[in-house]
Amino acid sequence: MTDEPRVYTGRVRVTNPLTSAPAHVRRSVQQEIDESTGVGEVYMRSLIRSQLRAALTVTTTLILSIGALPLVFLAFDSVTEFTISGIPLPWIVLGVLVYPALLLLGWVYLRQVERAEQDFTELVEPQRQDDSS
Amino acid sequence: MNATYGIVAITLVALATLAIGAFGLRVSRTTSDFYVASRSVSPVLNSSAIGGEYLSAASFLGVAGLVLAHGADMLWYPIGWTTGYLLLLVFVAAPLRRSGAYTIPDFAQVRLQSVGVRRIATLLVVGVGWLYLMPQFQGAGLTMRTVTGAPGWVGTVLVAVIVVINVVSGGMRSITFVQAFQYWLKLTALLVPVFFLLHAWTSDGQPSPVAPDAWFAPFGESDAMGLYATYSVLIATFLGTMGLPHVVVRFYTNPDGHAARRTTLIVLALLGGFYLLPTIYGVLGRIYASDLISAGRADAVVLELPSRMVGGTTGELLGALLTAGAFGAFLSTSSGLTMSIAGVVGQGLARTGAISTITGLRLAAVGCVMVPLVLALTADRLPVANSVTFAFALAASTFCPLLVLGIWWRGLTAKGAIAGLIGGGLCAGVAPVLTIARQPEGWFGLLMSQPAAWSVPVGFALMVGVSLLTRADIPTNVARTMVRLHTPERLDVDRRF
Repeated sequence: MTDEPRVYTGRVRVTNPLTSAPAHVRRSVQQEIDESTGVGEVYMRSLIRSQLRAALTVTTTLILSIGALPLVFLAFDSVTEFTISGIPLPWIVLGVLVYPALLLLGWVYLRQVERAEQDFTELVEPQRQDDSS
Repeated sequence: MNATYGIVAITLVALATLAIGAFGLRVSRTTSDFYVASRSVSPVLNSSAIGGEYLSAASFLGVAGLVLAHGADMLWYPIGWTTGYLLLLVFVAAPLRRSGAYTIPDFAQVRLQSVGVRRIATLLVVGVGWLYLMPQFQGAGLTMRTVTGAPGWVGTVLVAVIVVINVVSGGMRSITFVQAFQYWLKLTALLVPVFFLLHAWTSDGQPSPVAPDAWFAPFGESDAMGLYATYSVLIATFLGTMGLPHVVVRFYTNPDGHAARRTTLIVLALLGGFYLLPTIYGVLGRIYASDLISAGRADAVVLELPSRMVGGTTGELLGALLTAGAFGAFLSTSSGLTMSIAGVVGQGLARTGAISTITGLRLAAVGCVMVPLVLALTADRLPVANSVTFAFALAASTFCPLLVLGIWWRGLTAKGAIAGLIGGGLCAGVAPVLTIARQPEGWFGLLMSQPAAWSVPVGFALMVGVSLLTRADIPTNVARTMVRLHTPERLDVDRRF
């Protein structure tokens, strides 16, 4: 250490430190969610809303199909009296057809929500796209 | 029916259950093994286990008995039990697994940060479990009497003892293997005799069932009471499944939310396949065994048909197979229920700090079986499928609103949850007591014997209403809890509380 001030002889480039900094910090969606910022909340609410919409679609389908069956049987005698090779239609519907229909509904729902979660994952962690493909 | 075959069948199932349980004992060492099988159960094994646990005496014996006695109206029961899983899949499966809690009381505490809600939920788990265990024990007694002529209490006590031994020795991991084994046992036991029975029916010239018109048509009586009863059964079973403690606890054994959903979808397939069968027994029973109705033993139709229709050694062997399946049904459902009640109560005991979690679980298992055992030995018998409906109604009026609102609505508060659990629980809890003790008639009797259609709205309304009135008490970390419940596990987000 010397007490004498250093003397510069060459040209000195003087810059404002702010201009060399990045224009703005890129914040990941993950950070937004972790810090519960307004943006993070928007992402979370949209995810939950899309999942809830899928669940309510299934529920509505159930109410309009199985839920309506008792009323249909009650209102239309022709439906309950209709037979296929001797078996009354209500027995075929209630005893057999309902079950594959429920499975199909579950399968459609599963595809829908899994895709929604995949979209959300790609939104939050874009680099994951490479891993999964 | 020849008693020897039946006794051999029951002994074999009991031994197989204990042996598979012992196999589980060798591999279960830690607390996590005991409670949730270390969360490492694959979807196929897990869904077989769920199917094995869920298909109780009510499904194996009860549905055929109800169809025999009452006809098309009763097909709603198995439909409701299956649809309950679909609603469980869409509203609860993945978020419940992602909540990371062991039991419903755990979930309540995680979501609402309230010890009060936790305590009430614990009491309700025990209540629902007892209501469900009682008919299983009674069904075991009925089967034992039908098959061997032994007094009813023998089968009841036998099942209770095996269940306690199993839970006490191996916990959740051994139960998982036992349940998975029992689903396939039950399916085989019901499926194989069907071919023989249908063959006998064809050789007999395919006679049609002889019954009043009301038996063939849903709503033969087509009045308002029939319609109310049907919708009440649908509501109880649709919404009650997600709140049954032995069903819910299985979701914690999935590795992640994605697996929980896949498991539930496989369960839907397994249940749908199974429920095609009891109807066949009920209809054939109407042709060949309609005297059972007046004898008040309609629940025994599944066990009686082979000896009546096929006869000879083949009939006896098929009867023994069905007996084995029925015993499998009592054992698996009772084991699952006892495991889940004991899990909840055991945790409570361990919290006092006096004993370890595993000791707590073991003590609780013994204690929790005693009450339904005494009830089963003393109370008058209701049809098995009807009396499990009370358990469904209680679960649908309390845990269904707690889970659905807790997962999807940020506005739920601890006070709201407590109001709904107590209000819905009282409505759906008093009804079976009144029905069993007083057997009221007419509309009042119907409202009491099928409470779900009014008690479920009461539970939901109280929970939403009181939550809205106590909006200031919404837990402060609700945003973080929602992240935890709804984001896929593969995302590396902050899930701490």
